[in-house]
Amino acid sequence: MHIPDGYLSPSTCAVLYAGAAPFWVVALRRVRRIMSARLVPLISLAAAFCFVVMMFNLPLPGGTTGHAVGMGITTIVLGPWASILAISVALLIQALFFGDGGITAYGANCLNMAIIGSLVVNVLYRAISGRASIDSPRRIVAAAIAGYVAINVSALSAAIQLGIQPALFHDASGAPLYAPYPLSISVPAMLIGHLTFAGLGEAVISGGILAYLQRANPSLLQATSGLDAADVGWRMTRPMWIGLAALMILTPLGLLAAGSAWGEWGVEDFKDPKAREEIAAASHNIAPPAEAPKGLEQLSSVWTAPMPDYAPPFLKSKELGYIMSAMMGTGLIILAFLFLDAVLRVTSRRRKEPGTP
Amino acid sequence: MTAHPFIERTLAGFADALEHAGTAERLADQKGLLQRLDPRVKVIGALLLILATMCSRRLSVTASMLIVAVALAWLTRIPLRIVATRVWLSVLFFTGCIALPAAFTTPGLAIWHLPLVGWQITHQGLFSAVQLILRAETSATFVLLVVLSTPWTQLLKALRALRIPVTAVVILGMTHRYIFLLLRIAGEQFEARRSRLVGMLSSEQRRKIATSSAGVLLDKSVQLSGEVFSAMQARGFRGEIYTLDEFQMNPRDWFALTVFGVVTIVALFLGMRP
Amino acid sequence: MCTDAAVFEIRAVSYQYSEITALDAVTFVVGKGERIAVLGANGSGKSTLLHLLGALAFPSSGTISFSGTPLTEEVFHDEVFGFDFRRRVALVFQNPDVQLFNPSVFDEVAFGPLQLRWPKAKIIERVDAVLASLQIEHLKDRAPHRLSGGEKKRVALASVLVLDPEVLLLDEPTSALDPRSQSRMIDFLIDCGGVKTVITCTHELHIVEDISDRCIVLKDGRIAGDGSSAHILANEDLLKEAQLLHVHRHRHSSGIVHSHPHFHRGHNHIH
Repeated sequence: MHIPDGYLSPSTCAVLYAGAAPFWVVALRRVRRIMSARLVPLISLAAAFCFVVMMFNLPLPGGTTGHAVGMGITTIVLGPWASILAISVALLIQALFFGDGGITAYGANCLNMAIIGSLVVNVLYRAISGRASIDSPRRIVAAAIAGYVAINVSALSAAIQLGIQPALFHDASGAPLYAPYPLSISVPAMLIGHLTFAGLGEAVISGGILAYLQRANPSLLQATSGLDAADVGWRMTRPMWIGLAALMILTPLGLLAAGSAWGEWGVEDFKDPKAREEIAAASHNIAPPAEAPKGLEQLSSVWTAPMPDYAPPFLKSKELGYIMSAMMGTGLIILAFLFLDAVLRVTSRRRKEPGTP
Repeated sequence: MTAHPFIERTLAGFADALEHAGTAERLADQKGLLQRLDPRVKVIGALLLILATMCSRRLSVTASMLIVAVALAWLTRIPLRIVATRVWLSVLFFTGCIALPAAFTTPGLAIWHLPLVGWQITHQGLFSAVQLILRAETSATFVLLVVLSTPWTQLLKALRALRIPVTAVVILGMTHRYIFLLLRIAGEQFEARRSRLVGMLSSEQRRKIATSSAGVLLDKSVQLSGEVFSAMQARGFRGEIYTLDEFQMNPRDWFALTVFGVVTIVALFLGMRP
Repeated sequence: MCTDAAVFEIRAVSYQYSEITALDAVTFVVGKGERIAVLGANGSGKSTLLHLLGALAFPSSGTISFSGTPLTEEVFHDEVFGFDFRRRVALVFQNPDVQLFNPSVFDEVAFGPLQLRWPKAKIIERVDAVLASLQIEHLKDRAPHRLSGGEKKRVALASVLVLDPEVLLLDEPTSALDPRSQSRMIDFLIDCGGVKTVITCTHELHIVEDISDRCIVLKDGRIAGDGSSAHILANEDLLKEAQLLHVHRHRHSSGIVHSHPHFHRGHNHIH
């Protein structure tokens, strides 16, 4: 699900780069602290591995074949920080060398696949593995499920980024300027492909390689085992909170800047004749449809329906509805998994305390 | 041998990647317009032109940027056939398939009805689909031009001009170098298994072949990284990497950069008017 | 041999990793200007010994001294000592893909001088000179994956010779080479580009006499023999014990069974 150039507006791209950057900076700092000089060859070879694995044609249950990104096994073996860097490097080489994924969309692709992907795998793999021994079959299941869910969350994140484009970026006549499908189409379309082929591919690779390493080289599985000192933890640092906040604040600001006069009309304006004249004049005399586009109506009602009648008018506006969708997209996904991670760390710390070294 | 298409397709994919790289290296040696420019100018120029393409709200401006890209390709002695097969056809296929339904689903002014089914294409939908395809094609073409007219090692060093840290650039270079080694190792894995296959395999067995090849590859990659680290240490690496700064701008480079800048500004001005 | 002229002093060195003992109480001295061949079958500890001499790993017990200074992790924290050692002692790895990690041949050869912070003009001059001396100037801008096996080994050599080292440690320099490249490599090894002290690991007995004066035989991590090359090569029993020679018995047409040492390319057999 590498997003090419042209599907995301420049302001969306800028916001997503700004969202990804703090994670890159922190990941580099953390990895350098853990591995110091060793990081250069390790990240390079790990990225090369990801690149090659993405080219594998994987036989899937059901007789079809698919591809995987490798976010699952990379996170399990290297830990989440190094995985963020390795997958980001692999994605850049794919974008430059093979045109797989755009350059303006690179920040978005890294955020979805490298960052969100690694984060989700880390949380789910640890949660499901618990304190099972390294060679336990439970870890195979944990890896497969973590990989499956991670790639679907990545796909959902991408779908949301794509789905909000038409509402926020269109020209005076209402034609979408970038990705042309609203959330109601982009989300199901992306998820169908990933809940099936891509998800299974990721599950097969994650579980399969873990099983292989359990036999061939179990020491590679120590970094995220939750069992000992070799474990590389994950914690949000201040720069990352700032980055996340920037993501959530800049998104509506950027979108407001790009919004045109046409977008500020509400659903009711389609029915009022005077307003319709104004709309027509602004839209090069193309008469607006008698009813507001269906998508516009449905989306706005999702947010305003629960607002009571006495609420101030701005809370009921459609613009707020769109902005809320945008914020919900990337930021909330990250928050949800961070919350889950925090809960798991607290509970595992309680379990570790009695008498463990 | 088509009893096991996943092996064939994987090996074909590897061969494709190697051929891709070979063509790039060959074309970077030609004596066209872009090859003679400072790589930093090309990188910055491409980014500016892509930005202008992305910001355009008008089909005429987006289409003009595509024409600029094609003109640059021709001036760089890059055969249009190569650009077509590498970029235009695949983008057309991929984005075309995605964009086509948008012509029907986007609300707006209907301009054509499909006979029999009664579906209608809207003006807005058609505009949107064409914009999307043009943008994707143009951006991909600019990227391809930079990559095909610049040797990889120079391209990496040019990224330093974008303030990308030395460590990142070194990692990119090392990753690229070892991709070819890993492709060879993985290819040997698959070929060895292919030659030992007798009869049909179960689905489970096929999956095992793919995942254990990947597992071996991961194991070897980690091991290799340790050995490379020793090799780096043996030649004085202590954590900070030092590289050679070799680029010098000459008047032709400044001129080209100015031209790219002017085209970008004009395109932005024309394209962003509502 | 007085200690002043000793380049390396290896005293009771052992090396263990994950329950395997790679080297066990190895002791010997390397004098300045000596050409030593370290012989041993695969797994005998040759590569490990070379890595320890090159200070890429440190002994589990015992000491290795270079020019009187014991090589320990602490001593390498000092940047000045570290740079000096890396310049003077050069290691060429068995697998050139491990040593060629830069995007182009020029970058590879320039890597050492760059990390040692030589001035730019000197680096360019030295790199060009070394490439010319090994006849690989035409490969200057080539990427490593597009080099043949022989070319890779020459680039690997160039990447260390550029530093003008005093000691050369070579790990299986002729392995995986086609016959032509092998003979070129052997020609080089005879004089080693002027480097005085050379330690070469190999299991190819037929090159030993050309490239070395002294032989150390390793078996299972221990020294099984240490003497002049001619002496060691004549000692069949030692070579057999170290699994460097294999006994073949042939029945000749006359019915007589012959058995005498015969070294020829690629096969260390007794016929």
